[in-house]
Amino acid sequence: MTIHIALAGNPNVGKSTIFNALTGSRQHVGNWPGKTVEKKEGRFRIDDEEILLVDLPGTYSLAAYSVEEIIARDFIIHERPNAVIAVVDSANLERNLYLVAQILELDVPVILALNMQDIAQSRGLKIDKAALAQKLGGAPVVETVGNRNRGLNDLKQVIHEVATQPPQSLPQPVYPKALEQAITDLESKIQTVPNLTEAYRARWLAVKMLENDPAILEYLEEMGATDLLAAGEAAQAQVEEKTGEDTETLIVDRRYEFIGDIVGHALERPSDSTLTLSDRADEIITHRIWGLPIFLLIMWLVFQFTANVSAPFLDWVDVFINERVARWAGALFDAVGLGDTWLSSVIIDGVIAGVGGVLVFVPVLLFLYMALALLEDSGYMARAAFVMDRVMRTMGLHGKSFLPMIVGFGCTVPAVYATRTLENEKDRKLTGFLATFMSCGARLPVYVVFGTAFFGAAAGNLIFAMYMLGIGVALATGFAMKHTIYKGQPPAPFVMELPPYRMPRPIDVWRQMWERTRGFLVKAGTVIMSVSIVIWLLMAIPVRGDGAFNDVAPAESLYGAASGLIAPVFAPAGFGSWQASGSLITGFLAKEVVVSTMSQVYGVTEADGTEEPVHFGAELGESVVDAGKAVALTVQEIANILPRTINLIPGINLSEFDFLGNAGEEEENSRLETALVASFNESAGSPAWGAIAAVAFNVFVLLYVPCMAAVAAMRHEFGARWMWLQIGYTLGLAWLAAVLVFQIGKVVI
Amino acid sequence: MTDATSETQTLDQLTPGQSARVAKINGKGAIRRRLMDMGIVKGTEIQVIKASPLGDPVEYRLRGYSLSLRREEARLIDVSHAI
Repeated sequence: MTIHIALAGNPNVGKSTIFNALTGSRQHVGNWPGKTVEKKEGRFRIDDEEILLVDLPGTYSLAAYSVEEIIARDFIIHERPNAVIAVVDSANLERNLYLVAQILELDVPVILALNMQDIAQSRGLKIDKAALAQKLGGAPVVETVGNRNRGLNDLKQVIHEVATQPPQSLPQPVYPKALEQAITDLESKIQTVPNLTEAYRARWLAVKMLENDPAILEYLEEMGATDLLAAGEAAQAQVEEKTGEDTETLIVDRRYEFIGDIVGHALERPSDSTLTLSDRADEIITHRIWGLPIFLLIMWLVFQFTANVSAPFLDWVDVFINERVARWAGALFDAVGLGDTWLSSVIIDGVIAGVGGVLVFVPVLLFLYMALALLEDSGYMARAAFVMDRVMRTMGLHGKSFLPMIVGFGCTVPAVYATRTLENEKDRKLTGFLATFMSCGARLPVYVVFGTAFFGAAAGNLIFAMYMLGIGVALATGFAMKHTIYKGQPPAPFVMELPPYRMPRPIDVWRQMWERTRGFLVKAGTVIMSVSIVIWLLMAIPVRGDGAFNDVAPAESLYGAASGLIAPVFAPAGFGSWQASGSLITGFLAKEVVVSTMSQVYGVTEADGTEEPVHFGAELGESVVDAGKAVALTVQEIANILPRTINLIPGINLSEFDFLGNAGEEEENSRLETALVASFNESAGSPAWGAIAAVAFNVFVLLYVPCMAAVAAMRHEFGARWMWLQIGYTLGLAWLAAVLVFQIGKVVI
Repeated sequence: MTDATSETQTLDQLTPGQSARVAKINGKGAIRRRLMDMGIVKGTEIQVIKASPLGDPVEYRLRGYSLSLRREEARLIDVSHAI
């Protein structure tokens, strides 16, 4: 039989280090059902026993004011693990024991892991382990230093003992007399309500009722236990009259007294506290003057990592899958006599293109997760929020929302995942929603092509305007949501711990990078694949002319017909041609595809010209060489961060490294540009208005539904409902904005 | 405002370096509970460390750890005269 163990603890106590150390690579990262909270499970063996370890969300309490707290306590109550390992920060024992006190009240076997003993000792804190265990009624206490794998064998041995022995009862806070009386009275009333005590222990329920726990009160209301609820309110009033304090305050105060008693016996503090290294570092890092520049510098570095450093591998994956593998597959189909059939087409243009569409995100996500893990594990993330909160608050957001927004300028997909660093679900969803308006790197080629075609040397103005518009829309949307769907809801408490700075451990950083990226591949990958195949199908089915299945010009395919059907919708915005609508449809695959589709539908590029014979061995060799080049370019990009950063200082212009001597390659787009100008002049109704229609089109590209990968990521993180809200809102807003730009522009010019 | 000794202050009125004991936590619901859960209860000693570069939030130290609060949150906490 598998032994179930839960791992609980405050945030920043090294819980995940202990989790990694116990389970190694046998772990699975997903989300708690229907929630945006990460769930980690892992397995390991002790002797012949199989242990399933569940990492509960890091929380400070088990009140019901955050999703994480509800998840953690519901798991302990309903899944009844054989034991809960409470990981506590030895250097911060008092506040950490507050959570432990609440776990004890759930009547579950508890193992106390005194983590980060080394830091406690360096601060002169002495913890008497025996006294602590005695005060906890004999619950096992193990000293661990998770990041040096110390104490893990002791911990395993204790897990085995606790799980195989009959549970012993552990001490719990005893409340003041008036309160205990109320608890006993409520308990007897709870016993009379059918089915109630099957799920919950009566004493715990009584305490929670007196704490005014919103989740429990709601649950009792659903059960129809109105008499019990009335009795609870009466009891609260009675206690308040007797003591002059409300019951919630009395309960929390008493828990801290319970802890004070334990700490008084087991903890010896140094007589004078000296500033730690971390304190001294923080004096500079969040300094009144230096704090902001340091923050901006670090955000700049994160952006460099996610946008530029990942680019060489992104290109390599793109070429390898979409060119090489696609060609090999084509040759393979030719060899078995199935070349140019619908089967070869669905595999190459649907499946392989879909796989490519998923895999190109792997490098950028790996780099993003590395940056996130470093920021979080080092303790800087909380400081970033501390510095930026004042600014983000105006949008109804939390200081930590800044990072996903910055990452959004690179790519929306990692921006959505970067919202995981926020503690509150509402903040996560709102930040993810707004991050999509940050103009990502894939939208830039569209602005560039249109800017050059319609404005020539002034193309930069269009590009700049689009970036500013995106930020403006995010600000306005945040403000609007604060006053509509979140209206009347009090802002989530900011109240945030500033943990001591720590050196991140490479193995923990790598685990986060890999496990989270794998989560994307599995969950978002399926959505991206399906959409790719659907678009392929649309382009393969002929509806007009003399084309056959899978052998049809875009204009005559179902895709062309559908685009033509949609086109009139965009007439008020000045781009009601089927080509423009069609490129917006494929733009859902990835926004830069808008440009390549336009090349195709305006007949600028030949769709699949004559193919050269495949030399598998030579091409594989080339791919390996290309991979080597990608490594070199990655190193180059990392090296270039330094000159680029220094170049931010006005008046300095260091040259950047160019290892392979191929900087400055530009593609020739002039034929496409000519075709674009002609087409937009026509759809706008007058050559004078073509440029306005082009601007309107760019506004639409900026604002409409983020690409399918971002949509898949949103579904993965925030659920289907939120995804549809995003799709509906962005489509409506984009259309409205594009129409406004065109109609007002026509009048003004 | 005339008699400084009998007047209660709120936490946001203290300046960096000052310490005080918590007398009462105002407000209600999630925010009040969150403050208590973080160890801010009657009698807790709190020291002001520093304000963020933009003036808000402010870093405090209590029970041996650092906590940052927005000024509007610190305003909910009544403290006894500064130590």
